[in-house]
Amino acid sequence: MKHTLKYIFSLIFLCVSLLGAAQEVKKTDSIAPKTERFGVRFGIDIARLARSLYEKDYRGIELVGDYRLTKKYYIAAELGNESKTVDENQLNFTTEGTYIKAGFDFNAYENWLGMENMIYIGLRYGASTFSQTLNNYDIYNSEPYFGAAPQVASGEKFEGLSAQWAEVVAGIKAEVFTNVFVGFSIRLNYLTSNNTPEGFDNLHIPGFNRTYAGQFGTGFNYTVSYFLPLYKSTVKAKKK
Amino acid sequence: MKKIGWLLLIAVFALLGCEKDDICDSATSTTPMAVIEFYNAANQTTLKNVTNLVVVAPGFTEGFLFTGVSKIKVPLKTMENITQLQFIENGGTTDLSDDNIDELQFTYTLNDIFVSRACGFKRVFNLTNTNTNLITLDTDNWMTSCVIAQPNIETENETHIKIYF
Repeated sequence: MKHTLKYIFSLIFLCVSLLGAAQEVKKTDSIAPKTERFGVRFGIDIARLARSLYEKDYRGIELVGDYRLTKKYYIAAELGNESKTVDENQLNFTTEGTYIKAGFDFNAYENWLGMENMIYIGLRYGASTFSQTLNNYDIYNSEPYFGAAPQVASGEKFEGLSAQWAEVVAGIKAEVFTNVFVGFSIRLNYLTSNNTPEGFDNLHIPGFNRTYAGQFGTGFNYTVSYFLPLYKSTVKAKKK
Repeated sequence: MKKIGWLLLIAVFALLGCEKDDICDSATSTTPMAVIEFYNAANQTTLKNVTNLVVVAPGFTEGFLFTGVSKIKVPLKTMENITQLQFIENGGTTDLSDDNIDELQFTYTLNDIFVSRACGFKRVFNLTNTNTNLITLDTDNWMTSCVIAQPNIETENETHIKIYF
């Protein structure tokens, strides 16, 4: 009887301690619910602003924005207006116009808890409407026996031009202050449609930049943007 | 960090791409010269080589010497609508007594055509001459006749004038 009591008591004690242990496990599980913030981020390209100040022949502005759609995907867009005068050896022209680019970014960076930095790649589709003014040009003559012809002041304006292109983006965005991000991105553009004027060529396209003999172009921006959080979402623990 | 390094590398190359790097390729069709072919006056379908032919503009000391060829290129003035050129038979020899000067007068309208970013524009010529007023008649023309084969001088890939002698 004495032994039986001892046995039962031990059994109850064990059960109680197990129960306590089980409760303890449950408690730690609910201590820190991990949340991710979702919202819109909008900003401005300060590289274009700076160039507008120090480059006499350039004036441009680009507004950028993105919206966090899922943990890793962002809808992203850029809207800009540029005017650039290009002085080549044989030509001088001014391109003026507006462009829009829209697409998405994929964040490939695995953030630590509470951080929202990005190392991303993305795709855009861009479109621009613009005009080109041929300011002056030279006549190329490989046999100037009678002397070279003087420069021709033209001033002819080619209006209603347009172009479309696809863009691959690679960049980083880092949160420098609460909700303030600084970002840098480089872009490789591929021209898909180009409405060129009669008697001239689209040598510079706003948003696409300089055109080369082929279809490719390059670009970059340096942005400062503000993140406006709209809602929080609890991250579900990954099933193991 | 490795990824950022790659991004910077790509960025550097992207910016290098903005350098002024293109030079007008000499194979590009720019301001053309007039292409002239010489034919045998007796047998008008056969080409005939010129020997010691000098082409020079009146008042110029330097000219062009052609010998052993049937096709030549001569420049036209890009700043005026008229160009006179003297075609001097045996002009390439030291003996001046056998020189025979025939003068051609090209009249044309000018037009500028866009070529490329590197080359800029070319100036092309549209001849307004007729076959008869191209050559200036004198007492002893060595050329029998001149024929305009292509009045629009836009490239050097075609023959613009045929001269029979």
